[in-house]
Amino acid sequence: MSAVLFFIAAIGAITGAVGVVVLRNPFYSVLALVGHLVSLSVLFLLLRAEFVAAVQVVVYAGAVMVLYVFVVAYVGGEGERIGERLHGTASGTGAALRLGGAVLGGAVLVELLIALLGTGLEAVDSYGAGYSPGPRTYGTPAYIGKLLLTRFLLAFEVASFLLLIAAVGAVVLARRRGGLGEEDPDADRFTPLDLLRPPGSGTTAEGVGRRTG
Amino acid sequence: MIATVGYFEPWWIQIIKAIVIFAVGLQLVPVVLLAERKLLGRFQSRYGPNRVGPYGAMQPLADILKLLTKEQFRPTTSIGFLFALAPIISILTAVAAFAIIPFGNTQDIFGTKVGLYGIDVSIGPLYVFAFGGVAFYGIMLGGWSSGSKYSFLGAMRGAAQLISYEVSQGLALVGVVITAQTLSLTGIVTAQKGMWYVVPQLFGFLIFLVASFAETNRAPFDLTEADAELVGGYNTEFGGGRFASYYFAEYLNVIVVSGIVTTVFLGGWLLPFGIHPPGWVDPFVVLFKMSLITFLFIWVRATLPRLRYDQLMSFGWKVLLPLATLNTLITAIVVVATH
Repeated sequence: MSAVLFFIAAIGAITGAVGVVVLRNPFYSVLALVGHLVSLSVLFLLLRAEFVAAVQVVVYAGAVMVLYVFVVAYVGGEGERIGERLHGTASGTGAALRLGGAVLGGAVLVELLIALLGTGLEAVDSYGAGYSPGPRTYGTPAYIGKLLLTRFLLAFEVASFLLLIAAVGAVVLARRRGGLGEEDPDADRFTPLDLLRPPGSGTTAEGVGRRTG
Repeated sequence: MIATVGYFEPWWIQIIKAIVIFAVGLQLVPVVLLAERKLLGRFQSRYGPNRVGPYGAMQPLADILKLLTKEQFRPTTSIGFLFALAPIISILTAVAAFAIIPFGNTQDIFGTKVGLYGIDVSIGPLYVFAFGGVAFYGIMLGGWSSGSKYSFLGAMRGAAQLISYEVSQGLALVGVVITAQTLSLTGIVTAQKGMWYVVPQLFGFLIFLVASFAETNRAPFDLTEADAELVGGYNTEFGGGRFASYYFAEYLNVIVVSGIVTTVFLGGWLLPFGIHPPGWVDPFVVLFKMSLITFLFIWVRATLPRLRYDQLMSFGWKVLLPLATLNTLITAIVVVATH
């Protein structure tokens, strides 16, 4: 049973990963990535890592990829342009992009090979952790929580600080653009109705940030 | 304490349980459907459906028959396989999430120990959130693949709404998990023996309830289908069986959320004042509490007007999220101080 599940999930993960690169339509690429991430979470489940599996789906498939889908659905149809740039017909940047992509891909390959040869191959002949129900066994939230707050506390905090910086940076970048009210000639118009209406009564003028009387 | 069975039930019991869960879920949806239409009628000073069967009790059957015998069509602008896949995702995730709701503790049925729940996972509520995250793709793909503006707008609203309120919903549950010190849902119920968590976690309860209204796309947060602006939102272009799937999933989600609220805040199968009924009463206690929460859902729908989109967003991020964070923080401090 677990072998069947493993092969289904593994084939799903590889197909998804290939699909992300091969598919031309960015929307389908994102969907392929979602399929890849869900297959990975099944692999995590087979490794008795229930918490990691759930977090994989909640955080990546349920939040990060949602934003990807959101953006791609809004600005969709850019697939051809990416292809043009890669083949250098649009501008002279094709060769540079291809070279940069090859270098980055090579770097990832070397890093993965180091990780695989260093640790992964040792476990090939052995079985995973045995399953024993209980609050403090391998892969459960309690076990991972304890590790995060004791042994890996520094790395955990540094990572969360990095995410905080990214979030603050995104807010600063987004604030730089003008709001709706600034270029609107009607923004300062004040009608007698505004006096009668209490603030916060939910009009459309309030919705676009105009004065509310 | 933590249920003695789990992965060690015989395989045939797990199969029977899967069938029972699917059957019960399938039976509950028409009941909720009828209750909603009847109650909405009462709230609006009219009769509601009263033609099919006694008191209109056969109305859901007629609805389902009508929907299933309708012609399956799709717009020429739609994308075929996604259009067919999206309702399946919605219904699949709703049924899967239903499996986690505990209807009673482990019982001896004909000498075999059976837990009255689908599964008791060690990750508890995270399981629901995982399927909730996937359920988003049902709405999103349905709206996007329809190739229609109204559907697309509804799906986009759904996307923004789901990720905004999921955070508050999760944080509201963290307070309970800290207090119960377990993630297992049966563990959370047995930890409420002294007092239901609705009392010490009142703010968590309210925040979770409000966020759940948004997560299930129910009024006053039903902007994904806002029929006054978007015709029908993400499911505008769907008809027949596919529309029935979306409808089924929406109501099953309401039932699942009622079940989670019952389990986490209202003591699950426990009765107040130390009343200890025999084991077979437990599922009925849970069903009764769930029906109260479902009634609240319908009541709110009949009472409150729909929010405007920016109100929804600013309420989620500026009011609900800080409150949920504060609730978690204070709960953590109290738990550490009293230990």
